[in-house]
Amino acid sequence: MRILLAEDDNDTRNFVERGLGELGHNVIAAANGEDALHHALTEDVDVIILDRMMPMLDGLSVLKRLRAGGITVPVLMLTALGRIEDRVDGLEAGADDYLVKPFAFSELAARIQALGRRTAPAAVTTRLAIGGIEMDLLAREVRRGGKKVNLQPREFRLLEELMRHAGEFVTRTMLLERVWDFHFDPQTKIIETHMSRLRTKLNEGGQLDAIETVRGVGYRIRAT
Amino acid sequence: MRVLPRSAANRIAWVALLAYAAAMLVLGVAVFFATHAAFSRQMDASIEQTTNALQGEYRDDGIRGVAEAINQLHGPGPISLGTALFAPDGRRIAGNLNTSMPAPGWQRIVFVDPLEGPDPARAQVTPLAGGYRLVVAADLESLEAIDRTILVMFGAAFAALLLLGIVGVLLLAAYLRRRLGGIEATAAAIIAGDLRQRASLGASDDEFDRVAASLNAMLDRIAALIANLRQVTGDLAHDLRTPLSRLRNHLETLRMSHGYAANPLPVDEAVEQADDLLALFEAILRISELEEGGLRSSFKQVDLSRLVSELGEAHMPLAEDMQRTLVVSVEPQLTVQGDRELIAQAAINLIENALRHTQPGASVELKALACDDKIVIRIQDNGPGIPAAEQERVQERFVRLESSRSTPGHGLGLSLVRAIAEAHGGRLVLGDAEPGLVAELRFPQRGPM
Repeated sequence: MRILLAEDDNDTRNFVERGLGELGHNVIAAANGEDALHHALTEDVDVIILDRMMPMLDGLSVLKRLRAGGITVPVLMLTALGRIEDRVDGLEAGADDYLVKPFAFSELAARIQALGRRTAPAAVTTRLAIGGIEMDLLAREVRRGGKKVNLQPREFRLLEELMRHAGEFVTRTMLLERVWDFHFDPQTKIIETHMSRLRTKLNEGGQLDAIETVRGVGYRIRAT
Repeated sequence: MRVLPRSAANRIAWVALLAYAAAMLVLGVAVFFATHAAFSRQMDASIEQTTNALQGEYRDDGIRGVAEAINQLHGPGPISLGTALFAPDGRRIAGNLNTSMPAPGWQRIVFVDPLEGPDPARAQVTPLAGGYRLVVAADLESLEAIDRTILVMFGAAFAALLLLGIVGVLLLAAYLRRRLGGIEATAAAIIAGDLRQRASLGASDDEFDRVAASLNAMLDRIAALIANLRQVTGDLAHDLRTPLSRLRNHLETLRMSHGYAANPLPVDEAVEQADDLLALFEAILRISELEEGGLRSSFKQVDLSRLVSELGEAHMPLAEDMQRTLVVSVEPQLTVQGDRELIAQAAINLIENALRHTQPGASVELKALACDDKIVIRIQDNGPGIPAAEQERVQERFVRLESSRSTPGHGLGLSLVRAIAEAHGGRLVLGDAEPGLVAELRFPQRGPM
């Protein structure tokens, strides 16, 4: 993916740039809002990472101008303001996702992946199928190897999130946001327990573990 | 205003009134006796004077002279003193005192008043040569009348004093209570947790106003210190997050190294520990932010019935894994004004506390209900509970009971719950479920809007 990274803090910018580079992304870095706007308007990028507080032009203003200019590239807003009230500010301004600084790099990487996927035509998906698991989103049915798996509603939603991001890590906080609508981590074990239920049900009958877990990062559905 | 059952103001005023009344009583008694004695002396002097004059007549003209003088004395005109001259045989030969012959010296006699009948009188009886006796007496009735007048006047004055004094005491006590009541109400509000309350100042700059001003200055100072402490804690947590995140990110890059695949555990554990620390700082920041207040502007109507049902459902698998029974009962259509996620956070902390601090086989009840004018989320377990004496303390930051040292956590859970409850104008109430702990999040119920 081509990623525009607008961040005025040198340490953070270099670190993120290197990390995303190692993951195989092509990063264009900007150190202020003016540059970020210029790059966003002239270059073709898949995802934009915008720091909210920048010299010259702050992230929110850049975002507003982009949207006003008809540019719909997904934007992930970085904010140092981790206050409760600020939670939805960035989202209301038109950002597609946001992350509070300081963040774990794996969290950023997972969210970028998810955002990049969104640019793909957003056809209404009703069926998902990966590695022998089939989901019918309308009938709310799950089959693995043709055999029906009975899931509770939340387990179904968890699996759907994983299936929609097949091959990518989905983090705990992303799952909390999307399945439970919690925008900060209440430090609960509900993800872990639901995931373990889901896994047990999917793996019933001694099949290969369908869900890969990386501690401190997240979950991923196996493609095979 | 509430009438205080024990009031120093009342006590002081009553003591002052009693002391004043006692002094008044002593003064009254003294005046009475002094006046009585003075009048008695005056009466005696007047009797002696008349006796001397009549004795003079006797020396000059003998018995006849005395009798004539007596008769002249009782001519027309006011009679101030009674006199009598007795012959040696006890017969009254002159004078108007209708009495029998008394013994010589100062005597209390009874004579017969022509109008009023027998009357007591004070008399000086002087023996004359040849067995005659001269009696000069004054009616005691006038002295008694004076005594009575003094007593009546004094009694009336004393009653008026008591009446005015009692009214004064009540007024003074009410005034003192009113002045002190303002200060007390402020202190009570502060104790209840509203540090922004201040005592109101009057215009008179009297001692009450000065005490109130000192109290306010003290409260300002305390508030500044608390704000400072909060600021430092918050800043510390805030500033430590960045280097800690960097550390965590470096640990994650280790996962790409060769050594990781061979021995992933130490790196994974280090990442988890970093996450724990970040979560701790997050909780500290969250509490500071909640305690600062000012969140209300972002509050919305929260469907509490739905939220609690969801949380109950979300925790079923966890409870099952831990071999606890989770029973959920929710009254329909409960709403509160607030922040859905914060309320969820508070309820989750309480639910997980209940699951964590009980033994396998325990049952945990999660309820949402309307109770009086409150909307309540109640989490009750049948575990070991928290001793009554500790129930307040466990809500402080970083306080962990000895009995829970072995379970994970950093002692911020309940303080976060309390901060969330208070940010919603509600309260966290812990109680004894006999056995077990009952924790209630009480939110104010909003009237129809």
